[in-house]
Amino acid sequence: MSTQYYFDHAASAPRRDEVAQAMARWQHGVVGNPSGSHRAAREARRAVEEARDDIAHFVGAKPGGVIFTAGGTESCHLAVTGVANHHRRHHETTSIVISRVEHTAIIDAVELLVRDHPSVSARYVDVDSDGVVDLESLTMALSPDTAVVSVMTANNETGVIQPLDGVHAAVKESMFEGVVTHTDAVAAAPWLDLAAVTAPIDMISICAHKIGGPVSAGALIVRGDVLLDAVVPGGGQERGRRGGTVDVAAAVGLATAVRLTMAERDDVNQRVGEYQHQLLAAFRQLPGCVITAAGASRLPGTVHVTFAGLASDELLFLLDQAGVCAAAASSCSSGAAVASHVLAAMEMDPERARGSLRFSMGAETTEEDVVALITILTSVVDRLHAES
Amino acid sequence: MKVLVAMSGGVDSSVAAGLLIEQGHDVVGATLKLWGGVSDSGCCSVADVDDARRVAQMLGIDHHVFNYTEEFERHVVAPFVAGHAAGESPNPCIECNRHIKFDLLFERADRLGFDAVATGHHAQVLSRDGQHFLVRGADDQKDQSYVLGYLDEQHLAVLLLPIGAMQKSEVRQHAERLGLRTWDKPDSQDVCFIEASKGREVFLRSRIELTPATIVDGVSGEVLGETSTAELMTIGQRRGVLPGRDGEKRFVSRVDIAAQRVEVGRLEEILISTIHLDEPSLTFSHEAVEHNTVVLAQWSAHGRPQLATLRHDRQHERPWSLQLHAPARPVAPGQTVVLYRANEPEIVEGAAIVTGS
Repeated sequence: MSTQYYFDHAASAPRRDEVAQAMARWQHGVVGNPSGSHRAAREARRAVEEARDDIAHFVGAKPGGVIFTAGGTESCHLAVTGVANHHRRHHETTSIVISRVEHTAIIDAVELLVRDHPSVSARYVDVDSDGVVDLESLTMALSPDTAVVSVMTANNETGVIQPLDGVHAAVKESMFEGVVTHTDAVAAAPWLDLAAVTAPIDMISICAHKIGGPVSAGALIVRGDVLLDAVVPGGGQERGRRGGTVDVAAAVGLATAVRLTMAERDDVNQRVGEYQHQLLAAFRQLPGCVITAAGASRLPGTVHVTFAGLASDELLFLLDQAGVCAAAASSCSSGAAVASHVLAAMEMDPERARGSLRFSMGAETTEEDVVALITILTSVVDRLHAES
Repeated sequence: MKVLVAMSGGVDSSVAAGLLIEQGHDVVGATLKLWGGVSDSGCCSVADVDDARRVAQMLGIDHHVFNYTEEFERHVVAPFVAGHAAGESPNPCIECNRHIKFDLLFERADRLGFDAVATGHHAQVLSRDGQHFLVRGADDQKDQSYVLGYLDEQHLAVLLLPIGAMQKSEVRQHAERLGLRTWDKPDSQDVCFIEASKGREVFLRSRIELTPATIVDGVSGEVLGETSTAELMTIGQRRGVLPGRDGEKRFVSRVDIAAQRVEVGRLEEILISTIHLDEPSLTFSHEAVEHNTVVLAQWSAHGRPQLATLRHDRQHERPWSLQLHAPARPVAPGQTVVLYRANEPEIVEGAAIVTGS
């Protein structure tokens, strides 16, 4: 491929050179096990604890609350499953409350719990037609046996930002004791000040590869005294909450990406925010194009649109041929674009959802990329309309 | 030429792609994601998509996955279920080829700028006097012209079947020569959306209630037994039908779901000589065949073709029919009959769905 225009940061962001350099030290030769006591172990332990400090700072939590994991999916799974398992050992019934637009990491974890444990039930919170969580629906879903409430910080497909303050308020007003809140902040991490927006939430999941770090590196950060069972016990690492040797390189990679994100965030938000306006203004002119969740507050990096009468498969094929990497937002294990549960929860007409596309940007996106995308998408849409 | 190859992950389509590349074509592979549910057979599983993608990588071509799960449900699975509920025996693979592979995929290939579509079917396209004809595959055991029987000139003109002139053993040799990992993969035989380990009954029960029925001798009226699944009884079948008291074999001759009654009979009692064809489903590869033309009719994938006269009687309630030259076991409604030329028995003339016999 000669020229490539990368608009799939939300799937995986370009790896930062600084991250690769910082990790390199921990990827060859003697790397001590951080749980050990000799000098090599102490050196590794120090790198891990420095990384822990950075990550705690990123979300405004205490370092002791940072649990290193192998990515966003594991973090989300540990949050929901860990809290629910602890709760059901001490209560007759346990309910889990999640929004209908959560990532499958959350939905599948909840479905597994319900399948395997008769005392566990799930309640799903509706969203409005823009995909914003309905707080009344959330209030209705809460009950005295609610163990955990999970609402994402921003949606990975549409970029819609959720009202976490409202989530916290609804839980507080319910007066039910011991309800733990969790937010999947994986998609929001490149853009929002997580220390501010997740402040009232008890647990936060993040991962490294959406912010320029390595894949298979993430963290669940817990504020205060949340009680959760390890999903993978053994070894007692991470204060007994996640067994297995901590990957020093991954922790350092995540921390480096976190520091870069914090340092650059304001500038990137402003620059990419302008690109988002440019793209939306241009796409609105294309036949059949509708901007998704136009009424909601969205991440600056995400442009989600639908094209009436066209199929995502065909749009993506022609975009790919022209060097544009984009997504239909939702794909299954085979790699096929599949109907999105997020758009279904928004009660979007399935015919409209068939023509959906997500363009996601990041720190590396340039003006040149944006101009090229507008030209290419315009010609692709025109061509498909001419042929059909 | 710019060619889109439908790659199932199997050896035939893998070799088809490899040969087209060697011939100098600009080749892109596509795998169709058809079935959204669990599958352990056929050509829809994630493992098969992985195989197709890996083969494309080894061949150095782009590979895309096209999602047709909704269309597959609408055009293939739902009619399959509805057909069984009505006591018919539809062929889902034919419907899939017809509606998905050769309608939607051809249209898509055209929109995306391809000059031709290729598949790994064992059949051939013969070009003669500016026209294109579908011809049986060279390997008698593997011939798939039956499942492609309704293709017409419009399709055939842009269809490439690179392995149709080969024996299966040659295909495997090419696969090995090309270093394809699928070279020794077993052929898929089963319906992709039915788990081979569970079968048709389990699948149908997940969609509809199956009907118990009494098995009755069609001539004497004698009750011979019961079945809990009338929808699974196929006209003409012997399997699952006990012999009569006389010890003679019995065959299913009639399935009436509403009356919860399955009629069976001795072979000589149930033989038929006319097959009625569904007019809307009748297709000819070129111009319609005239009334009273003698053809070779085949109504199962590897059935023996039978001489028959195609009749078109406009006065009749069901105008199109086949008059068989020799009596045959009854043919279940919903099955597809493919017509081959009597004087050129390799060439497909047309196809239709059977409404009764």
